[in-house]
Amino acid sequence: MTLPRASSVLLWALLLTAAGNASADKPKTTTVVEDPHYGEVLFHFYQEDYFPAIVRLLAAKSRSRLPHHDAEAELLLGGLYLSYGHHLRAAEIFERLLADSVDPSVRDRTWFFLARIWQQRGYLDESFAALANIEDELPGSMEAERHLLRAQLLIDRGDHGRAIELLQGFRDRTEWASYARFNLGVALVKDGQTDAASRILDELGQLDPWTDELSALRDKANLALGYAYLQAGEARAAKRPLQRVRLNGPFSNKALLGVGWADAQRDDYGRALVPWMELRYRSLLDPAVQESMLAVPYAMAKLDSISQAADHYLDAVEAFEEENRRIDATIEALDSGRLLSGFLADNANATTGWHWRLEELPPGAESRYLYHLLASHEFQEGLKNFRDLDYLARNLERWRGSLAVFRNMLDTRVRAYEERLPRVTASLGRADLEQKVDRKLAFDSRLDSIERNRDSLALANEREFALWGEIAALEQVPALQAQIPEAEDLRRKVRLLKGVLQWELDREFKERLWRLRRDVRQTGEALVKTQRSRRRVDESMRKEPESFASFAERIESIDPQIRDLRARIDAAMDRQRGFLQSIAVGEMQAQKERLQAYSVQARFALAAIYDLAATTTTAEASR
Amino acid sequence: MTNLKYAALLAGALVLALPGQLPAQDGEAGVEPGIDAGVDAVPAAAGNEFRSIDEDVQSLKAEVLELNRDLFLLEEELLFPANSQVAFFLSVDVGTYFALDSVSLKIDGKEVANYLYTDREADALMRGGVQRLHMENLKVGDHELVAVFTGFGPHEREYRRGATVNLSKGLGAKYVELAITDRAAKQQPEFDVREWE
Repeated sequence: MTLPRASSVLLWALLLTAAGNASADKPKTTTVVEDPHYGEVLFHFYQEDYFPAIVRLLAAKSRSRLPHHDAEAELLLGGLYLSYGHHLRAAEIFERLLADSVDPSVRDRTWFFLARIWQQRGYLDESFAALANIEDELPGSMEAERHLLRAQLLIDRGDHGRAIELLQGFRDRTEWASYARFNLGVALVKDGQTDAASRILDELGQLDPWTDELSALRDKANLALGYAYLQAGEARAAKRPLQRVRLNGPFSNKALLGVGWADAQRDDYGRALVPWMELRYRSLLDPAVQESMLAVPYAMAKLDSISQAADHYLDAVEAFEEENRRIDATIEALDSGRLLSGFLADNANATTGWHWRLEELPPGAESRYLYHLLASHEFQEGLKNFRDLDYLARNLERWRGSLAVFRNMLDTRVRAYEERLPRVTASLGRADLEQKVDRKLAFDSRLDSIERNRDSLALANEREFALWGEIAALEQVPALQAQIPEAEDLRRKVRLLKGVLQWELDREFKERLWRLRRDVRQTGEALVKTQRSRRRVDESMRKEPESFASFAERIESIDPQIRDLRARIDAAMDRQRGFLQSIAVGEMQAQKERLQAYSVQARFALAAIYDLAATTTTAEASR
Repeated sequence: MTNLKYAALLAGALVLALPGQLPAQDGEAGVEPGIDAGVDAVPAAAGNEFRSIDEDVQSLKAEVLELNRDLFLLEEELLFPANSQVAFFLSVDVGTYFALDSVSLKIDGKEVANYLYTDREADALMRGGVQRLHMENLKVGDHELVAVFTGFGPHEREYRRGATVNLSKGLGAKYVELAITDRAAKQQPEFDVREWE
């Protein structure tokens, strides 16, 4: 199958949509719609209603309604599958179509998008293979992204050496260079080359960012470097990168905590209290803030403010317990499925697409603990699947309702047919077409005979025929036979009259014969049409019950399919729900364990303070 | 900058790669808080589990799509048998300055469709999509179709154009495309009607 040039444009439009850029950049395809059903598919596709678009395309293909768009239709189907997140089927089509028949640049871009989807869905080998299919340089930032994607796949496979090699060789003048450097740092750390990683992070931590994302990257590099120094006991070195982190960015809490620890490591607890006290006013959801609740009294104790330290520890214990109760409520909401259902509530009726993401959690105290799950591919892709399954389940329920309507409609049609049938049969019986055909044939032979015998009288009209009769009667009048001059005169007049009439009849004969033949021919044609209609009616009467039976069979065969699919969708939803719940509950449990550990530390510290106070009091008393 | 997102996610791995505890803090208060990277890794087994579920979901999607195709055709063939079926499609081929607002359709004097377009739908039409506006069962013979569209041109100028077409319905399904086009010499949107048997 060869694809026209226009297909490349179409595929590019599809890929942009699949990449989630549709609203930003809406290319108008150069495809001229020749088949309305093809245009109908595009109508849904352009509205990002992928599911109905695919259904219409499959239906149109199965009824051969796309004769002018055969090749493009297959490509469009691949693109729609890709947009819908039906990536395995999309890949099958692309592997078949893209081998050697499309503009190479479009082919490369298609592989790139497939690689990206597969990486997000955890199909790492497939993603790797898709990247390997790319032959030439990709346009714009895609080329950089391709290298980073490949490096990430190598890191995921544990092949740090090749990832390092790839990232070290990466050259780019855009912000992608910074991301590549950062990821090189990741690969170096994972490869145990911490010194080299530190140099890269230090360099990134001082970059002059020109986008928000680069600012975040810079913060992240500084944070990672700062904590690496803290772990190595290099407190002085740690402070510099940590202080470079913005005060109000997503990493500021952790940076403030780290700055405090850097001071504490150098026994400067007074200075350490400054960033830690700042954290007290921030959200307790952040583990850095939770930890600061222990760090503050720890520093106070170090500064001999024992009483204040005890107060802060008590506050911490209370706050941790409160937080613990909230987490329990969230776990309960997760276990009951209530929280996940809340995730589906938004745009529940909208169709789904691969680039859908849950950007905001549903309102409610419980969901606030799940914020950073939103950044995880497993959670987002799992949620997408859960949402897709929910859509499929509701779709099948709607059809199940429609099946009852279909049955009623079919019953109504059968009843109407059965009521009409006796009337139609009776009416057809009365029509007696065969007799009418015989009559037409008799007319033909009669006209043949008239023509052969030139029987002009046979074509006389009523007046002429009457006149001819009168003349013939006159000829038979006995008085006219007399041999007298008066009779002779009358006979001459009668002959004249007859001659005139004969002349007129002869003159009109050809025209009359032609008219009659024309009328008989038209009658014959009408009879043929009627016979055809009759055959159709007969065929319809024969086929209609067959058609009803076929419809009934189709309806009845679908019912068990719906039931079977519903059961399997329910089972898949249970699995998907279980998977999401396990991620979310695992996350909650980790938070709980952290809080419990902090709580134990706080209680232990309080006990130590009370011990110390008791010991001091006893010593003073004994003095 | 959605393209940057995955790189940013990857960047998160570095924080993961540097977890650990500060050296124990000595002191009378006995508190030794650690430094927590704050990002929890999804267990490795989760990837396999996810893939297994995803493969199930992919397979279910394929089956439900095929069933939808069958149901879509069943509904269409049941409601609109081929010998009486007429499908009316609407397409738009005009300059970007024209905004389609509504289309109404009358067949043999009876209003059968009156459609108001959302921005999304109008946009899809402008980009080359074709809407299946209406399906009807018509007897063999002649029928009168009256179609009217309204919309806005440059400077909020309101347009209202109509077309009356005599349709001849034969045996078998018939498709009628109502194309709103400004290809005509007047450079103003008009209806252009095409028929397929």
